[in-house]
Amino acid sequence: MKRQGLFAAAAVLAALGLAGCQDTINTVENRDLAMTPSAVDTRAFNTDSFCRDRLALVSTRSTVTPGGVMMVQAQIRSERYGFWSELWSGMTGTNPYHVLYRFDWMDENGMAVSTAANAWQTAIFAPGETKFLQGVAPNSRCRDFILSVREDPSAK
Amino acid sequence: MKKVCFAVPCAVLCAVVLAGCGSSARRIDPTTQGVTTVKDVNTRDWQDVSTRAVNSLIASGALVRPDGRKTIVMINEVRDRSGARARTQILTNKMRQALLASGKALTTTAVGGNGPEDNATRQVRELENDDLFNQATVQKRGTVIAPDMSLSGEIINQATNAGRTRENTFYFHVVLTDLQTGLAVWEDNFDISKQETVSIFGY
Repeated sequence: MKRQGLFAAAAVLAALGLAGCQDTINTVENRDLAMTPSAVDTRAFNTDSFCRDRLALVSTRSTVTPGGVMMVQAQIRSERYGFWSELWSGMTGTNPYHVLYRFDWMDENGMAVSTAANAWQTAIFAPGETKFLQGVAPNSRCRDFILSVREDPSAK
Repeated sequence: MKKVCFAVPCAVLCAVVLAGCGSSARRIDPTTQGVTTVKDVNTRDWQDVSTRAVNSLIASGALVRPDGRKTIVMINEVRDRSGARARTQILTNKMRQALLASGKALTTTAVGGNGPEDNATRQVRELENDDLFNQATVQKRGTVIAPDMSLSGEIINQATNAGRTRENTFYFHVVLTDLQTGLAVWEDNFDISKQETVSIFGY
């Protein structure tokens, strides 16, 4: 009985230690925001509930660059903080969290425009970190986009 | 005792057979299934860098001219100083295709960092001395459009070893130069860092 109790206490301490070494991100920003962003209404189609729950889409904004093409920015925050998230990511070796993302662009006729910029790119999230995933339209005719996000299988 | 004597060679045989098994050739998605090595620039790295470079260049507006015509871009050399024998044409080829697709620029193949990409522009003009050809159809001298800007760059790497951990960072630097003034109108840096821990057996 004593041995079992000691074992349980050691396991809890190990778990706490593991979870406590995650180096999560704290952020500070000005409360009264001066920016006037152009928000984009989005709709999501999720097939990976793990990825959906681990990353939060904070905002999606767009602008037109000096080159006259549309630029989209998705502000994404890692939700993998907290005791259980940190414990699990620590045990599975998925901290930091590696994802791949890709922007696909459609022209005014709804046809996808494919260029070298259509490749999957890597984004690495520390627990609680916010990143800005930006995509630039390949030409000025493109006005619609699809942002695809997936877990990086090669990082597991 | 007999059972143990039989089991050990069986286990060794199974291990040898399993270790020798490979897989047949198949098409892959290089981004998600490609091999990642520390000392080389891999396919996935090229895709990542070329995407970021193209996005940065197009977003900058450096290709937009006040007179409205398309900028003529010459593809100059991207020097590989990484020692990884990186095929820099992969980056420049992807960028030139994206430049054309942007509608803001055209690339010239008549001049290049390593000589013209297509010798035909000069070769066909030598036909003016060949009476086999209808001279009215031969391309005239003085008509080829000279480039306005030059795309060039450099790849450097920094390798670090700490015990069994090996780390390598490739630094990609790409520049767009206005050939009239010699000034860089756009440039950007892209880093790719990779790390591995080698087993005690050395691989």
